[in-house]
Amino acid sequence: MKTILTKSSKFGVVAGIILIFSEMINLSSTLAEILEKLFTGGIATKDVIIPFYMGLVTGLIVFFTTFAFLKKQKSDRKNSFLHGLAAAIIISLVSGSLISVLNIILGSYLEKGKDVRVYLEALSPDVIRAFLFQTDVRHAVMNYFLSTFLGSMTALILFWLSQKTNQPAKTIRGLARLKEKIQVGRIFERYPAVKTISILLVIIAILTLPLIVNAYTISVLGIVLIYAIMGLGLNLIVGLSGQLVFGYVAFFALGAYTFGLLTAPKPFGIEMNFWLALLISLVVAGIGGFLIGLPIMNLRGDYLAIVTLGFAEIVRILINSNLMADYTGGPQGIKNIGQPIQPSIFERYFGKPLEDNVWFLYLIIFVFLLILYAAFRLQYSRTGRSWEAMREDETVAQACGVTTSSYKVLAIVIGAAIAGAAGALYASRNTYTGPSEYAFMVSVNALAVVVVGGMGSIPGTLLGAFIIKGLPELLRDLENYRMVVFGALLIVMMIIRPEGIWPVKRRKLSVAPESIEVLKEDLKP
Amino acid sequence: MYFEIKDLQVYYRAIHALKGISLTVNKGEIVALIGGNGAGKSSTLNSISGLVQGQSGIIIYKDEEITGLPTDMIVKKGIIQVPEGRHIFPKLTVQENLEMGAFLNDNKAQMEEDMEHVYQLFPRMKERRTQPGGTLSGGEQQMLAIGRGLMGHPDLMLLDEPSMGLAPILVEQIFDIIFDINQTGTSILLVEQNAQMALAIADRGFVLETGEIVVSGTGQELLNDPKVQAAYLGGESEQEKLQKGDYYF
Ligand SMILES: Nc1ncnc2c1ncn2[C@@H]1O[C@H](COP(=O)(O)OP(=O)(O)O)[C@@H](O)[C@H]1O
Ligand SMILES: [Mg+2]
Repeated sequence: MKTILTKSSKFGVVAGIILIFSEMINLSSTLAEILEKLFTGGIATKDVIIPFYMGLVTGLIVFFTTFAFLKKQKSDRKNSFLHGLAAAIIISLVSGSLISVLNIILGSYLEKGKDVRVYLEALSPDVIRAFLFQTDVRHAVMNYFLSTFLGSMTALILFWLSQKTNQPAKTIRGLARLKEKIQVGRIFERYPAVKTISILLVIIAILTLPLIVNAYTISVLGIVLIYAIMGLGLNLIVGLSGQLVFGYVAFFALGAYTFGLLTAPKPFGIEMNFWLALLISLVVAGIGGFLIGLPIMNLRGDYLAIVTLGFAEIVRILINSNLMADYTGGPQGIKNIGQPIQPSIFERYFGKPLEDNVWFLYLIIFVFLLILYAAFRLQYSRTGRSWEAMREDETVAQACGVTTSSYKVLAIVIGAAIAGAAGALYASRNTYTGPSEYAFMVSVNALAVVVVGGMGSIPGTLLGAFIIKGLPELLRDLENYRMVVFGALLIVMMIIRPEGIWPVKRRKLSVAPESIEVLKEDLKP
Repeated sequence: MYFEIKDLQVYYRAIHALKGISLTVNKGEIVALIGGNGAGKSSTLNSISGLVQGQSGIIIYKDEEITGLPTDMIVKKGIIQVPEGRHIFPKLTVQENLEMGAFLNDNKAQMEEDMEHVYQLFPRMKERRTQPGGTLSGGEQQMLAIGRGLMGHPDLMLLDEPSMGLAPILVEQIFDIIFDINQTGTSILLVEQNAQMALAIADRGFVLETGEIVVSGTGQELLNDPKVQAAYLGGESEQEKLQKGDYYF
């Protein structure tokens, strides 16, 4: 009992120090802010954090500490529920007291009207108020004890439950086995209706999404989907056909500028219909891909990487130059790019027209779904298979009768056309496009989308788009930590899942060691 | 004429890899092309199948000149090459590998028949059909490569060193299978360094040295030819090689 007391109070101190530290560096309140933004209307401004989310963050930190403690204890010896309960209470009390001391000090200074910022530069009065749960010191202390206690108890209960169901590892294994048994794919095969219904449900979910999220999320979703479209295109070239492209942004820019020039009042004043312009942008980018693909189609090795890299720079410099300013707008770019007119169905259904950003998100979703469908069809077609074969072994693919040179160019053309569509959407969404948007970084991000998700995997690409473009947006509130955290996350991901987060599935990867005898047996006619 | 090469020359820039070779394959024959490393064996097969372009000379197949045709045309005509070095598609499953072999075959029924035939020849492939090709053992990969060639429904099969790097026991099995394939009516041009085994099953043989054919004759004649014996049938025994660990399984 005594050891439990000392050990658990040690963990309580650790949890308390983590709490204090994360408050001091302003991490708790930014995390709380992010959570709040995710779940509420996103109206959060710096000085109003709903106390609930502060408590949630505090509770989570204590939760993890308690869980870690219980797990450690378990490996030491058998533990009764009472022991665990005592430990959890101690942890919550100790960490709660520690964090409360900090708050009493900070809070009473604030109540006396003293500017603590002089002493603690990182903390503004607003932040302190957040730590105080928007109340006074007394209530704040209560809140802290409540959240540390709840965090601790949740950990205890979850841990206890996992013990009851016979070791977490076993549970996980059981779940895995269950998953194997259920095998979504096979169910889909046997009951096509189930498949149709699930697809319908997903589509309905996607379609209702723009209506329920806030403007901020809509803008993040928009950019994520545009990158997802680009990722799908690049995945065809890099993931499937196995050719490396460094300058993918070139095709994106081609699409965006073609669209811009066709729909903006200046410089040409064509102001073409949205869909027609989208189609032309797609075709122009595809032609760009064809011209790039032609000279390298009979070469082997990563020439395409270098050629596209150069091409991207040429495109960027051209649209930026004053020489071409009469045709491309030069450094100023193109303004007032056209947007599609909202069809009247929406008005009829909803009583009033949708807001512009919501409507445009629907449009992006629509184009995205079209391209997603096309990508799926392509990947599992004869063409997709020959791309994969080419990626695996060019000589053998050729020996099988694949005309590798034309399939190479085909992959580039289709990938480029998809980037063109993404570019057109992007330009139309912003109603503006300029040379600064087509920096090398866009190519890097597009490539990262494909690699992080898992080369050649369509769901992986979508996940990659979310991680590369969505995550940094969510982390935006972490400001100074943002890129550090993002970088760290990427490194961790690549270490844990070097094949990408959602790699292509190829069933069993192990092979049983075999003896000559077995082989001999097998080979007997 | 079923298959004939006349005065075939291949250059790689300054390297004169084939200096005008001529050979014939009659319908239903196994013809062995023997030679050491760098003799030009692979270059010969690659120019037949169109993997190497820019050769001079004439290649005739079923009374038709096929010199310089692109590979897919050659494959369509029924000349299928199994490249050297157990080349397979490592990430595609065994079944997908085999399907790739029938890439130009639009006749689904025939493809399934060929697949059944391959699975009969190599029961192990059937067992492992959902497994990525790269996870097979060396011997199995060679069988997969041959199986993939068969999926192209070859009339004339070009085999490039099928026994390379395999244990003697596997080599024997592979040659048995080549013999079986030939028995079902497929003509075979077999490139080998393992002269002993190749000539034993070959109807006729040609010996290639630095881009020129130096000896030719029936399999038996070549096996008994003192020059061939000295150059290709001596040296390390298979047992010694095995002990040195030169083999993959
Ligand atoms: N792609 C190539 N480029 C340059 N030289 C080559 C190429 N392929 C083969 N060679 C050269 O041609 C000669 C014949 O090679 P190859 O036909 O592969 O011989 P083998 O198959 O009999 O070992 C060798 O000297 C080799 O170095
Ligand atoms: Mg060779």
